[in-house]
Amino acid sequence: MSDYKIPVVAGLATAVVATLVLVGGESAVAESGADTVEYTSMSPEALAEYLIFDARGFDLDQEIQEGGTVRQRLVQDELQKTCSALRGARAEGDTASRVIAKAREAIIYPEGGIKLGDWKKGEALARSGFGFRVGHNIDDHSDREPGGNCYACHQLDPDEIAYGTLGPSLTAYGKTRGTGEAMLKYTYEVIYSPHSYFPCTKMPRFGANGFLTQEQIADIMAYVMHPESPVNQ
Amino acid sequence: MSSNAIFALPLVLALGGTASAESYQAPEDVLQGIIDEVDSDYLTQSEQNLMMMSDNPAYWTAEEGEQLFREKRGPRNASLESCDFGKGPGVLDGAYAEMPRYFDDTGKVMDLETRLVHCMMTVQGFAADDPVVTKRHGSSSDMMRLQTYIASKSSGYKWNPPLDHPLEKAMRDAGEVMFYRRAANLDFSCNTCHGETGKRIRASVLPNMNVPEEWTKAVSWPAYRVGNQEVRSSQHRLRGCYWQMRQGQIVAGSDASIALTSFWTDAARGQPAILPDMKR
Repeated sequence: MSDYKIPVVAGLATAVVATLVLVGGESAVAESGADTVEYTSMSPEALAEYLIFDARGFDLDQEIQEGGTVRQRLVQDELQKTCSALRGARAEGDTASRVIAKAREAIIYPEGGIKLGDWKKGEALARSGFGFRVGHNIDDHSDREPGGNCYACHQLDPDEIAYGTLGPSLTAYGKTRGTGEAMLKYTYEVIYSPHSYFPCTKMPRFGANGFLTQEQIADIMAYVMHPESPVNQ
Repeated sequence: MSSNAIFALPLVLALGGTASAESYQAPEDVLQGIIDEVDSDYLTQSEQNLMMMSDNPAYWTAEEGEQLFREKRGPRNASLESCDFGKGPGVLDGAYAEMPRYFDDTGKVMDLETRLVHCMMTVQGFAADDPVVTKRHGSSSDMMRLQTYIASKSSGYKWNPPLDHPLEKAMRDAGEVMFYRRAANLDFSCNTCHGETGKRIRASVLPNMNVPEEWTKAVSWPAYRVGNQEVRSSQHRLRGCYWQMRQGQIVAGSDASIALTSFWTDAARGQPAILPDMKR
């Protein structure tokens, strides 16, 4: 069982630190590597970054499915930093405008235009919470594709009762809006980079972050928009 | 005296005698008490869970933990009864409700798990890589038996982790930053799921960190997880959250993990702990 690996690292680290501190008789100081660092003289933001990246807080060197290591997942980009600083408050004014503008810049449209894909594939993607998890249990993408996990946060098919409410209901989404060009574009943009319309939204940047491919987005769009999809019955 | 005052007097005397002393209250009674006071979809989402709590399998785990706690073990053939969890050697009543806290002998803020590891190594002499120390998960692990027992002695006590020491405050504040820190390819932070009341992820109602009456249940670990059929720890919950957020594995016992548990315990401050709890 892989849960032995990390606790041993932590246990050894604790043993090393405990020994050093007992022998040295120091207090209020944590030791990491060769340096002694004063936690109490750091800002909370600086200390959080330190604990994550420099004090063996995470298994940073573990490989991730998209290539690279966990360290990359934990380094924040500008949008994440901006939205984190709000601590749950709404983005407003200049902050909102900047986030919206940056989010728009990240949108890459499909060659040949935005089209609906296969709603049956979209349904499978909407239901699946598989993909990109690492740590003690790594999602293997070699024989199963990552899903969008839409039901974690949204209602979709009206017959499905296990749906989340972190996001608005999408039941009858296509029925109420149609499948015109403007609606296709809007829907694609929301899935690809939702901050284009909802700055600092909870919703992930499925396209911009490389979580879903353009083809997968087209399939999910079909699930929410196609007149024959269960979502619109 | 009016008849009202005659009835009021014994009540006043009784209250005066017990008002300042906290004492044990069974977890199912603690939870029912909170449910009776507030309207919460989170707390009331599973009638079956509440019904099962008096038969919580975690009670057996706690009994096994009590035996282990008193047993002389390890290369030093010592029991854990001399371990100090913050209120003096061997004092367990209400101790867990005041953790994480700073410990002079190590110069660190420690949660129950790291403090237990420390005592198992220094008091009992177990090596850092001994399975007794490294196996952290599962009801049959020594760690979960001990944690469940020790934590159960704080059921009904109000969460009250100290913040007097500068390091305690520093860790708690860094944990708050971590709570709101959006990262990885889903852009999630703890606040994504735990910042609002009555929201669901799939069919599960989520606790709101900003509502202490809900958050006390959220942080009441160890808890028997019905879906796992195991008693789980706070570190296990943390691991699970970071796994689902796609942010990589937080190291159990790291200062990062303790900073976050310091913050999340502080967020439940003043509400009674529900220990051991039962969860989905």
